Amino acid sequence: MKMKKKSVSEWVKAGDPWVWLNAGAVAISVIMVIGLLLLIAVRGLGHFWPADVVEANYALPGQPAYNIVAERVESVEVPAAQLREAGIDIPDEHQLMQRTLMKTGNRDVYGSDFRWVLDEYLTDIKRPEMLFTAERYEWGNLYGYLQAVKENGQVVSETADLEPTASALATWQVFEKSIERAAKIHEDIYKVEKKDIGRINYGLERIRLKQRSLELEGKLTPAAEADLAAERSQYDEEYKGLQQSLIDLYGEINRDSVVVKVMDGSIHEIPVAKIVHAYRANAMGVPEKIGFYFVKLWEFLTDEPREANTEGGVFPAIFGTVMMVLLMTILVTPFGVVAAVYLREYASQGWVTRIIRIAVNNLAGVPSIVYGVFGLGFFVYFLGSGIDQAFFPEALPSPTFGTGGLMWASVTLALLTLPVVIVATEEGLARIPRNVREGSLALGATKAETLWRVVLPMASPAIMTGVILAVARAAGEVAPLMLVGVVKLAPSLPLDGNYPYIHLDQKFMHLGFHIYDVGFQSPNVEAARPLVYATALLLVIVIALLNLSAVTIRNHLREKYKSLEM
Amino acid sequence: MSDAKTHSIDISAMQRSQKALRIEDEKVCLSVNDLHLYYGDKEALKGVNMVIPEKKVTAFIGPSGCGKSTLLRCFNRMNDLVDTCRITGEINLHNENIYAKGTDVAELRRRVGMVFQKPNPFPKSIYENVAYGLRIQGINKKRLLDETVEWALRSAALWDEVKDRLHESALGMSGGQQQRLVIARTVAVKPEVLLLDEPASALDPISTLKIEELIHELKNEFTIAIVTHNMQQAARVSDYTAFMYLGDLVEFGDTNTLFTNPDKQQTEDYITGRYG
Repeated sequence: MKMKKKSVSEWVKAGDPWVWLNAGAVAISVIMVIGLLLLIAVRGLGHFWPADVVEANYALPGQPAYNIVAERVESVEVPAAQLREAGIDIPDEHQLMQRTLMKTGNRDVYGSDFRWVLDEYLTDIKRPEMLFTAERYEWGNLYGYLQAVKENGQVVSETADLEPTASALATWQVFEKSIERAAKIHEDIYKVEKKDIGRINYGLERIRLKQRSLELEGKLTPAAEADLAAERSQYDEEYKGLQQSLIDLYGEINRDSVVVKVMDGSIHEIPVAKIVHAYRANAMGVPEKIGFYFVKLWEFLTDEPREANTEGGVFPAIFGTVMMVLLMTILVTPFGVVAAVYLREYASQGWVTRIIRIAVNNLAGVPSIVYGVFGLGFFVYFLGSGIDQAFFPEALPSPTFGTGGLMWASVTLALLTLPVVIVATEEGLARIPRNVREGSLALGATKAETLWRVVLPMASPAIMTGVILAVARAAGEVAPLMLVGVVKLAPSLPLDGNYPYIHLDQKFMHLGFHIYDVGFQSPNVEAARPLVYATALLLVIVIALLNLSAVTIRNHLREKYKSLEM
Repeated sequence: MSDAKTHSIDISAMQRSQKALRIEDEKVCLSVNDLHLYYGDKEALKGVNMVIPEKKVTAFIGPSGCGKSTLLRCFNRMNDLVDTCRITGEINLHNENIYAKGTDVAELRRRVGMVFQKPNPFPKSIYENVAYGLRIQGINKKRLLDETVEWALRSAALWDEVKDRLHESALGMSGGQQQRLVIARTVAVKPEVLLLDEPASALDPISTLKIEELIHELKNEFTIAIVTHNMQQAARVSDYTAFMYLGDLVEFGDTNTLFTNPDKQQTEDYITGRYG
């Protein structure tokens, strides 16, 4: 058979262009989503890889040469003309030059931890095995050669070698042991400071508030005062004991120090207590590096942030995000369902109901910052201060609920996501077949019983759909939270061992705000940038997980209340 | 068997209830006095007067839209759910007007159970479906529930088929089983009247037969009113038959007489298939 050649008009008539257009749109969307995820994943996850540290000689033309020890971060090509304008004497034959950002660390020594170098003038590049990286609690990374380990100021092991000789390795081992020991003591100190002393402070605060409230009520009798004083002295006693053990622990942890030679040849003595990890990236094989990578990743997920959030982990932010979203869900679901049931089942379907429905739908379109302002004005200032005056007068003038906190943030977001739940629930209710409702009514059930026992369970997958959409919207929301309770660094988690365990009045950290804070409010932007990507990826993963669990619940419900179509 | 297109009367079924029945001899369960029903401006029932005898099967036949289902739904006030529906006249259940003010509609519906055209089991287990009406009444004692569920399922001739999977979802049953489950569910609350609104119209012939046998069994304990499209079915299962046309009750009498020797020409035309 002869193939007939299709004319363009036939091709258009058959609808093919539309198919191509649709397919193209879908393809572009998919590529953009995957590209976005890939970009943040690559940029963020690369941060935890223990990169090689290079040592090289760097000599710009016409300037004195110096030694540089650093990690490569990124390279860009720059026009030579631009460099010449900046005052660097570059020969005429160069048009473009490779410029690399090097992380030199040692901020306490050089003042900044990054510098740009021109690859052209890097010579004598080496990767010495004894070069080590130390992550510190303060001042960022340190790069250098280990010279000696001291205990109480006395040298216990030393080496002058920069090569992996026996003496150098022996000193390294002593150093590693010393770090391990310091880490253990550090953990003990943390426990005492955060847990035990935190508990005592909490108890003392409670006693103070009790005293104040008795005072306000005019019931502060000498007997009561004596009771409180006794309680207080008990805490004080306990505190003294803890303080002594803290002093001992601090003495212990500050026992060791190391002597390090850094890239400009100067020698520095650093307390081991200030070091989190130390590793020789150049001496590590790939399996070791992978192991180390996961240790770092785990630390990122489970530790508290350090150094103005640019190092350490983001656990409080993960915790705050999840907790806020869960609270929001608990608040929004019953409210949304009750509202939808009233609108769909009880309200007469007149113009008032129609206006209410339009209003609810429009609420979904209100910008989130407006909700933030409303939350601040109504919940925090009006309701919160009202609650404080009614229930916590003893704490005034310092506010309890009269300031942003976990509860107000959750309530504000619940308000923000309420329309989504209402609309989804209403649609679900509308889809329940009439004959099932009639079946229940015909058995002598009242309307309320029918709703509660048959209709709502059958509508639960639709309700869950609403909740999923609500979670997706709320978990990524940052703007309103900045007004009603998120902070860049919360001293403690909103859930702990101190009565009443959940502290709804406390301020909390949030991944979304953390991204903003680390990325744009940080004093050390270069160091923070990879963390911005890593945190962004984490936020996406947390939201995906929250959604996934909601979807799993919904699918389970769907299976249970499978359609009654016959 | 359920083929409504052949309008011949199944004689063998007729002979089953050969004994002549007289409505005057029956105990009255429900009586309808001058019942008018309006959907908005449209009058759907135009002054119906009749009695439903106790522990007998009363069938309602008539062409589509004649008001037979509407009338049936008046007996347990299901029409209350329709916003535009308005009713005048009265229906007495054992001499109590069910449209009187202050009637407990939920209690009325417990006393007058209803089975619908399409099986409508709840998305719960078989057991919970049958126990539903009891739980609504606040009965939660396991022993009592177990006994009633078994009794109801036996009454609906379903026990042997489902006794091993009582706690599986009712939605996994066949259509016929589902319909019998719905009957069991209705029977479980021990109503006085069972209203069946075309209970077999969505079922296959064998399931239909089972439902019909079931109706025969159930009439020993319950007053049954059944709406059906299928005249053979009416003839087979009922003791009394009402023929309705365009909102009027045209003729009401014992099934034998109505099918063999109807008073009205309209009735004869309908049952012989001349229209409808």
